Amino acid sequence: MNCEVCQLNELEVEHFEIREVLRCILHTILFHRALGLVRPKDVDLELFEITYVQCGDVEVERKIDEKIDQFIDRVEKHPKKKNQICLSFYEVKNKQATWFTNKVEHLYWEQWYINLNVMQHPKTPSGKSHHSKLVVDPGVEAGGARRVALEASLRDVLFQIIKFVNEKKDHVPSIPNLEGFLFPYEITISRCT
Amino acid sequence: MDLHSYPRGENGRLEQILNQFFLKSLHMILDSRVPANRPSSRYGEVKKSDKWFNLVLGDRPSAMDNLSFWNRSFMEPMVIDIILVQESLKSSLEHSSITTLGSEMVTDTVIERWVVQHEHRRSVGHSISEASYKKTYKKSILLLRSIYSMLRLLPAYKAFRKRGSSQNCVFDINYKVCTYAVPFSREEDELMKRHNFIPIVTQQGALSVSSTYRKDLSDFIQDAFVSFPSEIITDYVGSPLTEPIRPFPTYSSEKGVRATSFPITGSQPTSSSALLRRHSWTSGIHGDASQKNQPYSGSPPLYRSPYEHSSSPTDVYGHRFQNQRSPACQKAAIDDLLSPPFSPSPSPSPPTYLYSGNPLHSRMRSETPPMSIPHPMMGRSPRYLSPNLSDPNRHSLPPLSPRSTKNDPSSQESSSGIRSIRKSDSLRTGEPSPGLTNLGPRVSRDSKEDSGRFSGPLSSSSSPRVGFSRSSSRLSFQDDFGDGDFTYPFIVDDVDPPDFQSR
Repeated sequence: MNCEVCQLNELEVEHFEIREVLRCILHTILFHRALGLVRPKDVDLELFEITYVQCGDVEVERKIDEKIDQFIDRVEKHPKKKNQICLSFYEVKNKQATWFTNKVEHLYWEQWYINLNVMQHPKTPSGKSHHSKLVVDPGVEAGGARRVALEASLRDVLFQIIKFVNEKKDHVPSIPNLEGFLFPYEITISRCT
Repeated sequence: MDLHSYPRGENGRLEQILNQFFLKSLHMILDSRVPANRPSSRYGEVKKSDKWFNLVLGDRPSAMDNLSFWNRSFMEPMVIDIILVQESLKSSLEHSSITTLGSEMVTDTVIERWVVQHEHRRSVGHSISEASYKKTYKKSILLLRSIYSMLRLLPAYKAFRKRGSSQNCVFDINYKVCTYAVPFSREEDELMKRHNFIPIVTQQGALSVSSTYRKDLSDFIQDAFVSFPSEIITDYVGSPLTEPIRPFPTYSSEKGVRATSFPITGSQPTSSSALLRRHSWTSGIHGDASQKNQPYSGSPPLYRSPYEHSSSPTDVYGHRFQNQRSPACQKAAIDDLLSPPFSPSPSPSPPTYLYSGNPLHSRMRSETPPMSIPHPMMGRSPRYLSPNLSDPNRHSLPPLSPRSTKNDPSSQESSSGIRSIRKSDSLRTGEPSPGLTNLGPRVSRDSKEDSGRFSGPLSSSSSPRVGFSRSSSRLSFQDDFGDGDFTYPFIVDDVDPPDFQSR
């Protein structure tokens, strides 16, 4: 079985946008791979006018949040490095430990690479302004434009996921092999080369 | 076709899959485009019929109550038009169908079109293999997932959310289901974008889904809460303003109150070029396209969404789902997860599609104007609510958390047409009326569950459409599967033969 790989378009995000963007992308992919019985759950993003779909499972939500926390942690530790999240689906081979090995083999059949470029901004001096008048930060308008652009890019990424799911179906394992409602998966964080 | 002529064996399974696919896609599209007027029962016991394609959508929208399917041969496409209806005092929009309702202009704009079809190819002769229909079923599951996601990404979803979240919306959303697609004009085409899902090749043809949608709905949505503020009508009969001899009451001189009059416009509805029309299903009858001007009975209810928020457009997406989740994911029984709930006895009926539009639109089209009858409004509590813990099917679904329902128990009834008439009446009799009324798909809801032999889609319930006769073969949406009807199409070693015996 071939392992299909999908490199999603890179997104430039601010630190506070990481969680929402990753949740949106990861859940969207998982929903398309949760081929067992699911009750889809629509979720509105808070930062963008986008609604994405979750497969509606607490455990999946917890796992994703956990990985996002790890990603954010890594970004904070290595702010100048680009990091990548890889969501892989696999089949389990050698489920039981044999006489010679205790390892369980994962046969990957699909991998998604989520590329985020987290912007680093110089810290603005904190403190209260003594000006009585409201000073409009010229960066606010630029930030608004950037947010709009990011929303459009994120929407494009979601369309990219749908397109990939639609174009490639033959490599998806047969559903009788599905235990539960979702194919086995793992999320790994790696550094972009 | 009678019940016994449904093909048996794997061919019958394939046809059921295709039939259910049509139904499921219609359910998804209407669910996310037509504001619901009854609460969804997605959370709760999962009906067997809802397990098709492993996607639990809950009760079908009331908009589907008046549609019945035939789809035995799947020879004709299912075309679903999502129409944005606007009352306007401005000059007419170029690319919309314009009608007049009294003194107001109503513009209908097709903002989205979905086409689901199975292009049939005569099979060579050998029957469809089990592996083949299993593959078709798997691909159908994947396709429906994509459609579900796509429905939330397209611009019309935003309009749907705005419409559903506010009573004072300046537009309404309507729908039309038929077997033909009225071609767009060149100007309309330039404003649309098309997305074709990859077809699923079956041994009998190819199942395809496409979506054509308006790229930009900002013209319709941006001024949704700005252009038509509520105004107090003061020039009603008996108003001091209309009788200058009488002293003007002091209470009428409040700030911001002014007489409002709606100019009577004389624009005629534009004619649509219904080219390439093969079948126009009206009022649930396999009628010809010449039926027009059928009287309507009743009126659709006013829609009040429990999801009412401030009118600011920026608030629409400001509400996170706060669904709570129960802790563990329990594995489902394989049979419940993976088996398409095949029906033993499908019962086809003549193809019937229903047009659900504003009945007072004097469309120059060949289909009968849609009608609707009033029915009690139920609050809408669809997907945005917390799920119910008491899910008896927890063994087959991820566990859910307690449900917080925002049901609006108020029931209001009005039809788009009658509401307009009532509005005119209110202007004359002195009742205050809002600046805008809601038009749209006020489909009556048949409170009775239709049951019967299943071939596929919904029964023809008490249709609000005049001229619609209740079909004798009241087909239910697979709510009446026998307990032992589940087959398991994917496990090779343990496959129950499809149960196609008639009841």
